[in-house]
Amino acid sequence: MRSRGSPFELGAVFAIASVAAAAVTLFACSAPPADARYTQTTLPDSASFSPVAELLDVRCGTLDCHGTAFRNLRLYGSSGLRLSESDRPFVPLCDTAGELTQDYLSVVGLEPEEMSAVAAGGDPALLTMVRKARGTEAHKGGQVWTKGDSSDSCLTSWLSGKPNPGDCATALAGVLPTGTSNPLMQCLAQPPPP
Amino acid sequence: MIPSQRYFGTAALAAAAVTLCAQCDPVRGDAIDALGGEAPGVRRGPLHRPGQPCLLCHDGDFRDPEGFSVAGTVFLTPEDRTAVNGATVHLTDATGSSFDATTNAAGNFYILPSQWTPHYPMTASVTPPAGAPIPMQTLIHTEGSCAGCHFDPAGTNSPGHLCIELADGGTPP
Ligand code: HEC
Ligand code: HEC
Repeated sequence: MRSRGSPFELGAVFAIASVAAAAVTLFACSAPPADARYTQTTLPDSASFSPVAELLDVRCGTLDCHGTAFRNLRLYGSSGLRLSESDRPFVPLCDTAGELTQDYLSVVGLEPEEMSAVAAGGDPALLTMVRKARGTEAHKGGQVWTKGDSSDSCLTSWLSGKPNPGDCATALAGVLPTGTSNPLMQCLAQPPPP
Repeated sequence: MIPSQRYFGTAALAAAAVTLCAQCDPVRGDAIDALGGEAPGVRRGPLHRPGQPCLLCHDGDFRDPEGFSVAGTVFLTPEDRTAVNGATVHLTDATGSSFDATTNAAGNFYILPSQWTPHYPMTASVTPPAGAPIPMQTLIHTEGSCAGCHFDPAGTNSPGHLCIELADGGTPP
């Protein structure tokens, strides 16, 4: 028997149409307005960043890793990529003020919401960067350090607003090829840039 | 199977492998193309392509050419590319395991994975045929070719080709 106009088919069409309409409506409500911006509320202190930057430069910023313009976490510094066209690795010996600024912006700009939460007292492991270094999240560079060791603490103590430059120095001396006599150790004694 | 047939089979397989390989990583393919062909008169072997990133080709894919774990070239000064024959390249890995390789007449050295494979990060120093070791002061985290970082010209992203002496007789930074 041929159905007349098939109410079943009509019903199906109607159902699909209303689901689609609902989806469009929902989407319209949840999509942020085009000019929306997330304003970072709390940020880690830039003045105490310098020893942390030295560690990140040595452990993450070498030319075969984050010392390249092709990484989201782009790091400039003496061990790797230099910011000024006239500089080259190790010359000048210490990270320049411009490099520290760029590195700071890279670090705080990666995950703005999470960074604000961590700087306001949240668990540092909210940050992908902290997890990747600990090897608790997939990382091309593998596990770089272990939760709670001097390197991890150099980064996380600074993120949490209780900077511990001593941990940064211990971490660097432990990993640099010539230990405490490595020229880069001098850079820790430098005053932070203005 | 007559020998010529076998040869044809192998050649076809090799061609397929090359095509496959180039297809899976166009960036690497382009980088290899950019190195250009062999220098005239130098056979493919231990003395070829000094100063080039050896592992770009010697990555062990399809075992041809054979893979290296670490390889590079030591030159004399930053200004020219005079090879240093008989320098000792001393490498130490994250576990404290170390390996010494000696450069040949082209300044080249190479290490097979069966000889030594580092657990990164790795540190390096080079001891000239006569003289004290010159340490590299920073770490190598992933790159097995010295020339992956040590290439010319020296600039924001390279310390320049690997060398052991400055014009004034001093050591490079
Ligand atoms: C552009 C690619 C390329 C680069 C770069 C390159 N090689 Fe080779 N190499 C080859 C090829 C192809 C062969 C020939 C393999 C064969 O005959 O089966 C070869 C052969 C060799 C061999 C002989 C062993 C073998 O596998 O047959 C040695 C040793 C060698 N190369 C060392 C080096 C060193 C050291 C460097 C860096 C300074 C280097 N190569 C850079 C492609 C390259
Ligand atoms: C990740 C990039 C990178 C790789 C890979 C690399 N180097 Fe270096 N190398 C550097 C940088 C940057 C410097 C300058 C600062 C320093 O001394 O650490 C340097 C400096 C050196 C120096 C000091 C003298 C000079 O020429 O500047 C030596 C010796 C050296 N490297 C040896 C090696 C050897 C041997 C290899 C290969 C096993 C190698 N390097 C691979 C980045 C690299």
